[in-house]
This record gives sequence, structure tokens and C-alpha cells, in this order.
Amino acid sequence: MADRTLPTKVAQYVGGGLVVFGVVVVGLVEMIAGASHPVTAEGQIVHEALVPIEMRAYLILAGLVIWGLYALYRVAAVAPVGAAGQRRRVETRQPE
Amino acid sequence: MATTETTDSVQTRLLGREFTFPVEGTWLAYWLVMFRLVGGWWLLHAGLDKLVNWPFDAGWFVGGAAQGTSLGPFVTLFSDGAALTFVNIAIPIGQTMIGLGLILGALTRTAAFFGAFLMVFFYFINGETGGWAHGVVTGELLGLLVFGMIATLGAGRVLGVDGYLIRTEFVDKHPRLRYLIG
Repeated sequence: MADRTLPTKVAQYVGGGLVVFGVVVVGLVEMIAGASHPVTAEGQIVHEALVPIEMRAYLILAGLVIWGLYALYRVAAVAPVGAAGQRRRVETRQPE
Repeated sequence: MATTETTDSVQTRLLGREFTFPVEGTWLAYWLVMFRLVGGWWLLHAGLDKLVNWPFDAGWFVGGAAQGTSLGPFVTLFSDGAALTFVNIAIPIGQTMIGLGLILGALTRTAAFFGAFLMVFFYFINGETGGWAHGVVTGELLGLLVFGMIATLGAGRVLGVDGYLIRTEFVDKHPRLRYLIG
């Protein structure tokens, strides 16, 4: 079982953490103590929200940007799974 | 004839814990194709609809709706002139190509990446202008996650053109192409 590299951990934990925090954790806090939705159907900002909509959007956006940057990093710097060297390693594990 | 499901074992480590769990290959492949077809049709329909009803004008979105949203400072740069013309052409063509790529399983990872890229704009701009009236989890966010999953798992190798392409000598000699197909 290969250990993940630092960029992978950053993408998974920081990127995913920001998305989950912005969507789920802030959503739960808002449901309990703030506003159940950040805007009205007409697009008016609900000011009772504890976390301003801009801040929540930027939290989620930051997570998505980290995921996107990681995808570009993988393409630029890491050999893809299934490339020649990795294929040999997988084949040696088959008999286990 | 008795049949058995193909079960593979996944071994991984997450949040400091090691996990081993069986995955039925048949169902994994099945859902990858379903996500590809439905997600692909979502964007193919959106693209074809704009092309059939040409001309398409995105000015109301990039110059109007986007103003005041978190992506506004960037998106409104494309609200007039040559930049808007580019958007008016790129969006319908892009959506059509992404949809075709996903449905056919051709250049699937590239298609899914750009599908997710488009969803970022739709998610925040539509959301902050009323789409989040029932919470911040919308179709655009789920679509973004599905496209991310399709790209990560290389869904085009299942009943897709990429399944053929990935076995070609050309891809074997240029393994980095596996990031674009698969």
C-alpha cells in the first residue's frame, strides 16, 4: 500500500476539508443558530446568516481550487497509474 | 450457467486508518457508465440547445448575474467585446464537446475536468443569485462532484472509446496521455 505524497494529502484533507466545512459544517451551524438558507429565491442575501454568504462561498471555492490545482499538478509532475513502471508493480502483486 | 460477480479488494489508508473492503466490479463499472451517460447528456443537451437556438448570448450571465457574486471580479472581465464573443462561442461548443466526450467515453478525463470547471461558475453564480434558496447543495455541486469522480476513476475505459485508445501503441509510448483519456 503506497503512502500518499504531501500534495495528495493536501488535496484530500485541505481541499476536501474546506468543501465539507463550507457545505456541511457551516450548514449545520446555520440550521441550529443562523439562517437555514443563505439567499432567497429572488437572490436576496439573508442577513440572519452567521457566516456571510461571501465567506461561505470563498471557503467552498478555495477547496475546489485546491482540487483543481492538484489535478494540474498530477498531470504535470506524476506518472499516471497504469504507466509501464507501475503496471509491473501491480502484476507482481497478482499472485498474492 | 452459474455466474459469479467479480469482486475486487480495495486497500487504502485515510485519516490515519487503513481500510480493506470488497468492491463488486460489475456494479462499479455499471455506475461509472450511468454517471457518464446521464452527466454527459446533461451537458450535451445544454450545448445543443444553445446551438439549435443560435445565436447564444451569455451577456446576461457573465455581465449581469455574475456581478456581486464571489466569482464576479473574474467573470465580468468577459462581459463585452471579444471576450464575450469568445464566451458566446466557447460555452455552447464546449458543453457539446464535453457531453459527447462523456457519452462516448472519448477523452473522458479531459471532458470531465472541463465539465467540473464549468460547474464551478454555474454553481456559485446561480447559487448566490437565488439557487441556494434551499441550501448550498445544488445540482451544479453534485454535477461537479460526479465529474470529479468520473475523471478520477477513468470512467471512459468502461464501454467507452477510451477503452480502445488506452491500449494503442501510441498511448503506450506516451503514458501521460492517460491523464487525458481513461
